Amino acid sequence: MTVNQMKLLIGGVQLRDGVSTVADLVGRILTRAGLHVLGVERNFASTIYGAHQYDPLVVSARPLVSWGDRAIDVLAGLEYDSNPDAPQQPNRDTIRQHAGDLVDGGVLLYDSSGGPVETGALQARGVQVFAIPARDIALRELKKEVVKNLIMTGALFRLLEFDQDERWLRRFLEERFGRKGAAVVDLNLEAARRGRALVERILEDRRQSSVGYRIEAVRDAAPAVYVSGNEALSIGAIEAGVRFYAGYPITPASGILEYMETYLPGYGGRVLQGANERESIRAALGASVAGVLSMVGTSGPGLSLKVEEIGVSGTTETPLVIVDAMRAGPSTGMPTKAEQGDLTLVTGGGHGEIPRIVLAPSTIDECYTLMRDAVRLSDRYQCPVFFLTDLNLSEGRMTVPESVFRPGRASIARHVAAEHDVRGERYLRYRLTDSGISPRLIPGQRGGISKISSTEHDEFGFVTTDPAMRVAQMDKRMRKLHTYLREDAKAPQVYGEVGRGLTLVGWGGTKLALLDARERLRRDGIEAAVVHFTHLWPFPTHLAKPLLDTGGPVVVCEHNYFGQFADLIQAHCLVPTRRVLKYNGRTLYPSEVVRAVREVTHNGAVAVRLGGKDPVMVEVSIDA
Amino acid sequence: MPEAVQATKAIWDQNAAPRHRIQWCPGCGDYAVLNAVKAAVTSLELTPAELLLVAGIGCSGQIRNYLNGNAFYGTHGGALAYALGAKMANPELTVLVMAGDGDTLAIGIENFVHACRRDPDITLVLMNNGVYGLTKGQDSPSAGLGQPDWKPSEEHPPFIDPVEVALTCGATFIAQGFSGDPKHAAQLIVEGVRHRGFAVINDFSPCVTYNKVNTYDWFRAHVETVPASHDPSSKAAAWDLVRDFQRRGKLPTGIVYRAARAKGDGAKRLPTWPDELARADVEPLVKRLR
Ligand code: SF4
Repeated sequence: MTVNQMKLLIGGVQLRDGVSTVADLVGRILTRAGLHVLGVERNFASTIYGAHQYDPLVVSARPLVSWGDRAIDVLAGLEYDSNPDAPQQPNRDTIRQHAGDLVDGGVLLYDSSGGPVETGALQARGVQVFAIPARDIALRELKKEVVKNLIMTGALFRLLEFDQDERWLRRFLEERFGRKGAAVVDLNLEAARRGRALVERILEDRRQSSVGYRIEAVRDAAPAVYVSGNEALSIGAIEAGVRFYAGYPITPASGILEYMETYLPGYGGRVLQGANERESIRAALGASVAGVLSMVGTSGPGLSLKVEEIGVSGTTETPLVIVDAMRAGPSTGMPTKAEQGDLTLVTGGGHGEIPRIVLAPSTIDECYTLMRDAVRLSDRYQCPVFFLTDLNLSEGRMTVPESVFRPGRASIARHVAAEHDVRGERYLRYRLTDSGISPRLIPGQRGGISKISSTEHDEFGFVTTDPAMRVAQMDKRMRKLHTYLREDAKAPQVYGEVGRGLTLVGWGGTKLALLDARERLRRDGIEAAVVHFTHLWPFPTHLAKPLLDTGGPVVVCEHNYFGQFADLIQAHCLVPTRRVLKYNGRTLYPSEVVRAVREVTHNGAVAVRLGGKDPVMVEVSIDA
Repeated sequence: MPEAVQATKAIWDQNAAPRHRIQWCPGCGDYAVLNAVKAAVTSLELTPAELLLVAGIGCSGQIRNYLNGNAFYGTHGGALAYALGAKMANPELTVLVMAGDGDTLAIGIENFVHACRRDPDITLVLMNNGVYGLTKGQDSPSAGLGQPDWKPSEEHPPFIDPVEVALTCGATFIAQGFSGDPKHAAQLIVEGVRHRGFAVINDFSPCVTYNKVNTYDWFRAHVETVPASHDPSSKAAAWDLVRDFQRRGKLPTGIVYRAARAKGDGAKRLPTWPDELARADVEPLVKRLR
């Protein structure tokens, strides 16, 4: 019997079968029941209706488990029919694409309303198949098609022996549908009961009472929420004091726009859906000029359009937080797949040289905690601060203890000047200072005026091409980066002991896979430490080099072709790196990392490319 | 001139680039725009701290440094979008956008169109001269005015009339002025600033160096005051006026259209200062995720 440790996968037809509805319901209810759920491998399509969509969920009693490998324990297919456009082609993608990943002895649950599916081969290797006509029952007996989702949920819960007294489900439904009346709640509960009963009957026929997997509510678990990265970072931004948000619809950043539109006005803020990407960022800069903490969110294609304004923010010294929820590029790329391909763009994009800061959360809880830093740093250093997430982090969901959120906290301490702050000396918007940070009087305040200029300027803000003043202003702006490195840059997170073996290096959303890989390597007797970066730029050489320059192999794992972060490490630490690269739109699996590490340590590979037709492609240095 | 007015006037020369550093060609229409803006802010009794000038890129944009008051200068075509955000953030600021025809009607037309739709309470003074002066005289989208034998092609399409675009896209205050009459232009700016909504003032400001067609004399021969009988609150009347002037080959100066849009509660300044941000408890947001 496996208790409280499994990987589920829920699949179906996009926008028809309610895949994300069921996945989020399961995630939320299990979170309430004290379990940890990780649903970051969201797979949906950019077409709207009809594509195959699926949501893997890892359930565990322990926090911060990784998403594991492809292997799944329980597979639930919500699609029921033949493909209406191609009747000869049964629309059974969940089974066709994922049943092969089921472990021997795993469980397959599917809606057999459109007829049974041939599962002999699966059964032969011990897969337990449960075919229930959920849609038929929903239509014929309950007279409402959409409750088929609850029939399937009820069936799933029965298989997992969870919520036998329907306590959790009832409370959830009451909260969600209570306003629509008791009848709606009852109908949904009845649907769930039907699903349960169907599974019960099959089990009875098989003289079985269990499928070998069980989810048990955890007693006295600390309260937690099932939250997406976009929600977490939005909450972090609101709490830090962001009161102006602008965006333009783009996957996977639209969730931030929607969240902000719903909740920011309640905090006195305003949200602008720009007529295009440029209007969004320019309006946000305007709001920031007027003194309000401002943020924009976008993804790669939108960021490319915004690049001109990065320089405006940097040169005019107007604070701005820019969220880049990365998706696979270049150009339109794969809009619904994650990648880490924008690092070079955010560290170097734009003409000329621009002072900027780049942060990247590695988990969904960090989307919340690190956002506060992003807002604070933008305000303090008066420059663009990039906040790099990716599609999985942004759209994915994870159980986060409520104690992570710290309600009641005040916003950041602001770094703006009021009239009394600039009394006594002539106010100069671009005063040359040791820290590089100049006083910033908000337009509207008395005591001075600000000539805020994207052209090179003197201390007052007037245009200049005077060589000495140009150098003085350029140096002043860049001095902020030194101040940042001294006072605010954070060292990478270190798991294990560096210097005893090899070092796995990551940034952003790959952390959980690297930690999992580390455990597996240790079990195989290979000592590895994980060094994971959140503060990427300006590159914290003084904090990174001592951790990386230890003589052991440094294996940088990232979701791009070139190894953009590995390049940064090599350039700044003068440490050679080996690269594990994956850019096929799927998450990094721990088993792949383990395999790649072997290629590095045994075969001297300098780069390992994952996820192509051949699972691993190895590049060996020609000068090795 | 009363003493108080003179004193206010003097304020607007402080913190500005000194006269000898003004880098417009002698005789440029922009000098008159500068005088008109100065006269307008003086009669509006604004203080420099209350003003935010957002300038476009081009000869016209230099005006931000020739006048006291806060100023922001970003990218080509972006002025109206920055201004929009600034005004949304702090409605207490008087936001004045000073941009040329290249900036507003070519690279920034997207912002012009949507600003008309959004109707923020900002005033645009479109310093219109038909050329890109700063880059030495290329045609702008308003080139071709007063040239009946202009042979349109893909390379040289017919000109855009910002008054027509503004009328089409929903601006709520539309006026036209001319640098040959800065006093009148100043009145229009005053009216534009007082108007609660997006005010577009198309101000013909001749480029004496590169536009050899639309000269002061040419404008003098073609401008004609909007008749007193015109009802600016009627959009139909505004269109009639525009068409009538077009037929006669004339350019109306004065207020073409003015009809404030009914809006909800007055916008408030967004929370900015620590005491305003103190109430940021996110507990309710976390609760909703349960
Ligand atoms: S080039 Fe034309 S617009 Fe520019 S300053 Fe000279 S006259 Fe004025």
